[in-house]
Order: sequence, then C-alpha cells, then structure tokens
Amino acid sequence: MDKKSQNLEERIQYLKEKAKKVRKNIIDMIFISQSGHPGGALSAADIMTALYFDILKIDPKNPRWPDRDRVILSKGHACPVWYSCLAMRGYFPTKELKTLRKFESILQGHPDMRKTPGIDMTTGSLGQGLSLGVGMALEGKLVKKNYHIYVILGDGEINEGQVWEAAASASKYKLDNLTAIIDKNSLQMDGFTDKVMPMDPIDKKFEAFNWYTITINGHDLKEILLALEKAKKIKDKPVCIVANTIKGKGVSFMENIRKWHGKAPNQQEYEIAIKEIGDSDNENK
Amino acid sequence: MKINKAIITTRRAFSERMLEYGAINKDFVVFEADIGYSTYSHLFGDKYPERYFNMGIAESNTMAAAAGMAADGRTVIACSYGVFITMRALEAIRTFICYPNLNVKFLSSHGGVTPATDGVTHQATEDIGIMTTLPNMKVLAPADTESAKKIFDVAIKNPGPVFIRLMRDPLFDIYTKEDTFELGGSKTIRKGKDITVVTYGDTIFQALKAADELEKENISIEIIDMYSIKPFDKKNLLNSISKTGALLVVEDHQKRNGLGYELSNFCLKNKPVLFDNLGLNDTFAESGNYYKLIDKYGISKKHIFNKAKELISKKRK
Repeated sequence: MDKKSQNLEERIQYLKEKAKKVRKNIIDMIFISQSGHPGGALSAADIMTALYFDILKIDPKNPRWPDRDRVILSKGHACPVWYSCLAMRGYFPTKELKTLRKFESILQGHPDMRKTPGIDMTTGSLGQGLSLGVGMALEGKLVKKNYHIYVILGDGEINEGQVWEAAASASKYKLDNLTAIIDKNSLQMDGFTDKVMPMDPIDKKFEAFNWYTITINGHDLKEILLALEKAKKIKDKPVCIVANTIKGKGVSFMENIRKWHGKAPNQQEYEIAIKEIGDSDNENK
Repeated sequence: MKINKAIITTRRAFSERMLEYGAINKDFVVFEADIGYSTYSHLFGDKYPERYFNMGIAESNTMAAAAGMAADGRTVIACSYGVFITMRALEAIRTFICYPNLNVKFLSSHGGVTPATDGVTHQATEDIGIMTTLPNMKVLAPADTESAKKIFDVAIKNPGPVFIRLMRDPLFDIYTKEDTFELGGSKTIRKGKDITVVTYGDTIFQALKAADELEKENISIEIIDMYSIKPFDKKNLLNSISKTGALLVVEDHQKRNGLGYELSNFCLKNKPVLFDNLGLNDTFAESGNYYKLIDKYGISKKHIFNKAKELISKKRK
C-alpha cells in the first residue's frame, strides 16, 4: 500500500478504486467456484475496504503480529470480501482466490484461522462473532495493548440471542477497544429482515446495552472513515456502527434481491456484473 | 488401598489447585458463568480479579468469549456445570474451541447423577458422549481430592481443549500425594484375576464395595480407574483383559456413547472378551438421594456385583 495520504478526499478516492477491485474479486471468485455468497459480501465491501486499506494497523508479512488490530467477520459466509482484501494486502497470492471453496484450498467456505493467513478468528456460525470479539478485547485489555477489535455482523444474525449476551458483557467490561459494525443490508436468507424477524431499532437496542452508536451510510467511504476514526476515540464504551447498506451493492441485478444471498452468477450474469463494477486497474491481478 | 471419606468435593479440589497454580503461573485466566460459588472458581476470582471474568448466566457467550481470549494462545479455564457446558454451549465449543484447537480447559461440575436432588435438568449424564465425540477434545474424570488436584496440572500442561468432569458432593478419597496422573493414563486400584471392571468418578467406590462382597465368594475383580477417558489407556486395558478374559464397564452416564461403548468397540477390534456395561439405560434419572438414584438406575454396588458374577459364570461355561 502507498503511504497513506493525510488528505481525506485523496484517501476516499484511493479507497473507491480499491473497493471496485475488491468487488471484482468477489464476483470472480464466486463465479470460478460456482459457489458462495455474493450479496452479503458486496454489501460489506466498502466497510472492509476502508478497514483494510486505511484504518487497520496490520502487517501482512507478519499476520500474527501481537500488536495488530483484529478483524472478526461474524457474518462468515461473506468471506469472499475478506479473502479479497487479504489477498490484495499481500497476505497470500491473489491467484489463491481462484481456489475458493475448492478441495484442499486455503480458502474454506467459511473463514478458518488455521488455514488462511490474516484470518484472526474462525467464523461462520452466525451470532457468535461478537462473543469472540469480546474475548479478544478482554485479552487486549489484559495485556495492556492498544490494538482494536472490529467485528462485522449481519443484521440478520443479530436475531441470535447470544449477540445480546455478548453486548451485555462488552459494556460490563467497558470494552472501548471493540467496535461492532452492523452491515445492515435489510435482507436475510428467507427475506427482508422486517418480515423474517424485525430487530429495529438496532441502534437503540445497543444503546440500551450501554454502547455508543453511530449510524452511517455503509457505502459512503467518507462516512465510514469518519465513523471508524470516531469509534477509536470513544472511551469506556464499546461502539456499534450501524451501517445502512444494500445487499448486492454494485451489481444492479443483485441489489436487494433475496436469491443473491448464496448463488453464483452464470457466464452471462458474470459478464454484466464485471462490466457494472467498472474498470479497475490491473494491479494485484 | 485406604479409603477415606472425602472432606471436600472434586470441584472444590480442582478449584483450590487452580488458586494455588495462579501464584505459580500468571498466564492463565478463568471464565465463569455465575456459579462461581458452586464451582469454587470464586477462590481464584477473589485473589486474582484481573484474571477472572464472570460472564453471567450466559454459557454460550462465555465459551465463545473464552475462545476469543484463547485465539492467540492464552490458556483459559472455563467453568460451569456439565449440562450447560456440553449442551447449551456445545456449538461454541465445537466450532470455535475444538476446531481451531485452542487452549480452553473446562471445569465441568455436577457430572452424572451427583447433583442428585437437583433432578434431571442439572444431571450431566450425556456429557462424556458429547465431549468425546469432538475432534481435538481430551476428556478427564478424577474421582477424588488428590486426583482432581493433579488432573488440573494435567489439563494445563496438555495443549488444546480439555474437558474435566467433576462432581457435586464429597465421596471418598483413595489417592495420596505420591500418586501421579497423566493424559492417557489409568490406575489399577485393585488387582484381580476373574474380571476387569473399568470405571471412573463416583462409581469407582461402588466397584470397590462390590469387590469386597465378591471376595467373600472367592471372586477376585480387577478395578481400573480410567480417569483419562479420551485418550484412554489401551495398554493397561489390554493387559488386564488378556489376564481376566472379561470386561465390565461401569459409569454414571448414559450407557449409550459413554466409555462402555468406546471400550466395547476397542475390544471387538483388538481383543474380544466377554463384555457388558452398566449405566443409565436410555433413560433420564430423577430427583432424590444419590444412593437411591444409583441403585434405581443400575450403577450401584449390587448391580456391579450381579453383573460381574453373571459375566464370570458365562466365562466358565
């Protein structure tokens, strides 16, 4: 990565280009694999890009660097977005992306901390990531390091009661080194969240658990960056960023359509998708 | 072997050793789910509050948070009752502790029907079956004060997840400070030639009493304390059954998927001998006095006495 610009507009422009590439990789991987979850990966693409190409304190050459910031993708099925970011940051060769979900691949169907460099924690069973993040944040406090833990959750998985057990424990221990980001794309596997299991108002729920909350447009990189920077400054409280997003964002025929939760595009759909995401430079190909 | 009435429970003995060890080793932490005064983990928490995390009545979150804390290698002792650890929090344990093979050790109290009067909700009679099924998980079940203390050290020293089944009430003490314990080890606590009785935890004392009764009829039984259930001591088992030609497994657990099933499978493959097992027979127990329960549900000395005689008579045919 180039030396980080101090200018917000330049940072945003840089991230926009990276986000295109991240999205292209997501579609590529899922198309090649003919298996995977494009909708939720695309909705989290801008958030993950902002983390991996601006915010995170990480060293791809030393994935287990003790002082690194940690990421937990609680909505583990969206892992193509994680793998894409990790490959582009150099944790493993980009050509590995073509092995997604294939036999003996380092890129399992859901994230695996023992197989993939840069994956800080195994995930995939929904509703568990925030608990895992609480444990990591407690560890950070115990060893008195100032690294930060980011947990990305779907708005469907917060149906799980364990999320709220975790929310209570995070505020008990005043885990200001923990930020939860809700990728609020309003769709879960069986349909719109307000039909399957309404959870609104999400921010008020977290506030009731003594969290500090910030609501943003999860595709506006400026809002994302400012929220993530603000989250690091909040003391004595964990922070929840409710990011309003669009499932399938960036590929018009996937946007807000339930069936693109876990479906691979065919050749024709693939070509349209890549065209819509737009030209990105050829680096990291 | 000298048998004394125990003064403290195995759960307490384990926690007392945890407290002692806390002074020697500053690296491990303890997670509790609001039964710290029952698991005695509060002993550690009172002395080392910065290394003690009480997560409330929320076992799934407790175990998943333990996984998060262990993700970079730290050792975590996670405490609760067997039923809650092995069922309420099972998926967190399987997917986030066993799968990545993290150093989480489970202080699992109230094993078998030992929480007798509490009834079925608190009696962990499927815990061994569930935990031994998980890849990477090791399972230990100390029977008395000394072994519970030593098993703490065994659990700490062996990497990866370890489940330790402990009991509610004080029973009997059989081991001394000189006895040693190890992962995959066992103890032959009574030598005999007619039949091998393998057991662990509270039913050991029923086996010892049955042995005394059988001795009066000139039947000598060999009793093995298989305190390391996974992995178990194949060598000692093979030596014993090669000598006796008959095996009876007794456990305060469902017959199905317990140590009995495991050893019958092992014997079929390696050394077929006359075999039977005692345990809960596809049923739940109930509330009541512990000794009445083990009698009613088939794991007391009279059942061991009868079953041992039955197997031996088959052998002589």
